[in-house]
Amino acid sequence: MGAPGSRERTPAWVHAEGVGVRFHFDRHAHAVTPALARLRRSGTQTWGLHELSFRVRPGEGVALIGPSGSGKTTLLRLIAGVMSPDIGRLDVRGRVGSLLSVEAGLHGLLTGRENAVLLGVLAGMSRAESKAALDEIKVATKLDDAFDRPVLSYSEGMRARLGFAVADYTDPDVLVLDEVHEALDHEFRSIVAVRAQHALRTGGIVLAAGHDHPLLATICDRALLLSEGRVVADGPFEEVRRAYLGAEA
Amino acid sequence: MGRGASGADRSLRQRSRRWTDVLVSLTVTDLKVRYGRGGWQLVKWIVDPFALVGVYLALVTLVLDRPGEAPGLSLACAVVPFQLITTTVVNAMSAVSARRSIVLNMGFNRTLIPLSGALTETVAFGASLFLLVVLMAVYTVAPTPAMLWLPVAVAVTLIFAVGVAYPAALLGVWMPDIGNFVMSFVRVLFFIAPGLIPLSQISGTAHDLLLINPMTGIFESYRDALLYGDAPGAFELLYPAALGAVLLAVFVPIFRAEQRQFAKILEP
Repeated sequence: MGAPGSRERTPAWVHAEGVGVRFHFDRHAHAVTPALARLRRSGTQTWGLHELSFRVRPGEGVALIGPSGSGKTTLLRLIAGVMSPDIGRLDVRGRVGSLLSVEAGLHGLLTGRENAVLLGVLAGMSRAESKAALDEIKVATKLDDAFDRPVLSYSEGMRARLGFAVADYTDPDVLVLDEVHEALDHEFRSIVAVRAQHALRTGGIVLAAGHDHPLLATICDRALLLSEGRVVADGPFEEVRRAYLGAEA
Repeated sequence: MGRGASGADRSLRQRSRRWTDVLVSLTVTDLKVRYGRGGWQLVKWIVDPFALVGVYLALVTLVLDRPGEAPGLSLACAVVPFQLITTTVVNAMSAVSARRSIVLNMGFNRTLIPLSGALTETVAFGASLFLLVVLMAVYTVAPTPAMLWLPVAVAVTLIFAVGVAYPAALLGVWMPDIGNFVMSFVRVLFFIAPGLIPLSQISGTAHDLLLINPMTGIFESYRDALLYGDAPGAFELLYPAALGAVLLAVFVPIFRAEQRQFAKILEP
């Protein structure tokens, strides 16, 4: 582990075979885990993702597009290891760096510095490595003095910058971005694009979801169109984007 | 074969180092989030049990009129370990939701979350042990070789606390609305144990029934080591330790199986 781009990259891939994710609700419409659903018996269930099969190879940037509720975030959470599929098989090879919400994994009561150490360790660094990286991460975030202030005083863009800087420092093989990059200012967006393109050139994978298609186009050549938890189109970004916009119209 | 074994050793060492790093990081940040920064947290950890012992001391000496031997120290021997159990349950009930931002954003071993919550509260517990030393001085109770049993009693308290942390954390995820009920249940455990009055002052069926409560063994082992100068009975130490181990054996696998489902039920 070290500064971005300093190590030889593991060939990364994402293989999904018949992947499905089920959400359970009790009779009061509260979300419950499958174990609790079995105990409570009465309730409903819905598929968040259904029979998803696709492959992402080294060097591919893939955009997930589709309407809200189509399963983009759930799919990215699966790839990031936040949750597991209920059916099917998902194989993710390589170190994953994820930014899946505007909170970006940050705790509001901790300072940027404290959050950076925690996120670094959770992303795979040792505590010593994570602490040693702080100066570089601080520079990369461009947060200056705010780096030592509680994150609750940060704007969404500042949070996203911090989250991205830590994820980028860990030099992930698979970078997973969910709309967070849309909270960033223009300068930092171009930094994200440069870092993502570097990852792709060196055999990494980028999966990004969002509604800012011009931004996604700077990172991704390919797109998956999701609708009601299923992949309904998979192909070149512009082609899939037109299919989505055509279907919406 | 030798190479395979050394490879397995290296892998185990790496995994242990990784878990230690994650555990320490979760605990350090949890301490800051729950107790803030600076010297005041230390003052709070010491003053809290002082205040609680003061309230119970007034109850025992003025209302119940059953002061017994060194009543303040006797009470502290119950209050200090019980505080660890209570705060661990409180911490565990919200442990997953309080870390929702990382739970929803990153894949990591969430099985360490309840353990880190218990360790957070153990730091506060460590500071509150100072109260026991102060009260031994106040009641001029001289240290005896039995004090060497204190680390064993503390270890048993920790095993039990970590044991209850896992079902409490699961309850906090499954049924967050029942937090108040769980806390009432935990408080009852203090009053159906020899918390206010030592076991030696209770006789008959009540005495026998109190032995079912694992708190009884914990409280009495602290009194044995610090107040009576005796070695704690085997049952006092083994029963809560075994119960803690059983809770861990049952609930850690359930927690491990459930951890990948948390993101489905936590609000972003």
